[in-house]
Amino acid sequence: MSVSRRPSWQRRDTGLTVRILLSFGILALLYILFLSVLAYVGLDFISITVVASIMILLQWYFSDKIVLWSSGAKTVTREQYPKLHDVVERIIARNNLPKPKIAVINTKMPNAFATGKGKSSSVVAVTTGLMDLLDTEELEGVLAHELTHIRNRDVLVLTLASLFSTVAWYLMQFGFYGGMGYGYGYGYGSRDRNNGGGMAIVIVVAILTWIISFLIIRAISRYREFAADRGSAQMTGKPVKLANALMKISGNMQRMPTKDLRQAEGLNAFFIVPAMSGSTIVNLFSTHPPVEKRIQKLMEMEASMS
Amino acid sequence: MSFFRKIRNGISYDKNKSKIDSEAIFSLSSATITLETKLGLKPTGRCALAAKSASGMYFNEMKDEIERFLNISKPDFELEYRTIIDSYGYLWVILKGRTIEDILAAITAVGDTIQEKGFSSQLLASIFELSREQKSNNSENNKMQYLIYNYKSNKFYPFVPFSGKKTRDTENEMRIMASIQDEIPFERDMAMWYPLWDLPF
Repeated sequence: MSVSRRPSWQRRDTGLTVRILLSFGILALLYILFLSVLAYVGLDFISITVVASIMILLQWYFSDKIVLWSSGAKTVTREQYPKLHDVVERIIARNNLPKPKIAVINTKMPNAFATGKGKSSSVVAVTTGLMDLLDTEELEGVLAHELTHIRNRDVLVLTLASLFSTVAWYLMQFGFYGGMGYGYGYGYGSRDRNNGGGMAIVIVVAILTWIISFLIIRAISRYREFAADRGSAQMTGKPVKLANALMKISGNMQRMPTKDLRQAEGLNAFFIVPAMSGSTIVNLFSTHPPVEKRIQKLMEMEASMS
Repeated sequence: MSFFRKIRNGISYDKNKSKIDSEAIFSLSSATITLETKLGLKPTGRCALAAKSASGMYFNEMKDEIERFLNISKPDFELEYRTIIDSYGYLWVILKGRTIEDILAAITAVGDTIQEKGFSSQLLASIFELSREQKSNNSENNKMQYLIYNYKSNKFYPFVPFSGKKTRDTENEMRIMASIQDEIPFERDMAMWYPLWDLPF
């Protein structure tokens, strides 16, 4: 039995740090392995690596602007959206966080995201559809989730994580086209065959690097979603509100029957075995954990609070 | 236990498709303690059983039999009951008893009678009423909450209607799910949480 009487989700999240370090360790190892294979083959990879790295760093540096520009989000003042500012200020005041910029996207699709380089230069964006759909407390839960992403520096973490996969991707393409170039362009006889074999190794290793780093990124980002849910629960003290918000955003709320049992019974609804939904397949490749699982975890937190 | 129940249900599936799982219904007895400690929800002692009515002598005979049984049990268990037929054509046996054990026993007995008379496929659901202890004057806390037992799926699910409207309070429904879903056979697929509007309680 632990001395602390607080439920496990309220304690410090050491698992997150450990996982991130472990993931980066594995990624770094892969990266080194990849580089040594390239070195063995004798390919001039430095220039591409440098270019790819610079691109990623630029992407990170301008991430907030890129995201805002591509999503069509506009930063809004307190005068334009007083309620939204109020909700954010309430969360940050209670949890001692710097105030991010607040942006609104004019679309009916309910959604929210956070972006930015550091804690102080971040942006939280919500869609008008989200504000229409949720009540104040549910909105607070979602905003606290996004603010936890900022607090945990998730943008930086995921950008760094994707650095490896992006580099691998560039090299894979380079290796592929490079190999073709050698084959068709310059006929060097026996050396050509040698290089062709080397290229094949490069491509295989690049593909493997890319796949594994992709899986790791997915694992990290799924874990960070759970961490952000937990952070939101801690900040607001009302996990059920975020669970309800997720129900609404995901459309699960709309799936809840409104037809009376006495009417539905006639439709033999109870003898239909739910077909295996596509979600099991999507699951394997999606970066967000399934909503049902997130709701379940939130409700476990809720149950441990009462 | 649920593992063995699954096996048992698997074996008995062909023999008797809609056998009432009285074990499942009685598991509610311990779940109400959890509901009280975790959510402050207490059984009000009111419950009801709904079965699709059928025309003909046998159905009326069955109804008489139920009433006879309940009349006998009345003095011993301080049981109150009434029966109505609703606008959907469902027979409701509405019970009020002292303890949850009493009403579970009574509702099981009523279910058994219906089954014995060959109307088990007409059984729809049992509904158990819960209410929150009145700690505050907040009217939202004063609401009736229900657990519905579906005889077709042999599972419980929560139902918390907003009073006067045909909308439901999913937050409190999810709270109920989170606190007792491992204790009783529970319908985890929320798409199966069919409401029962205008309960004749």
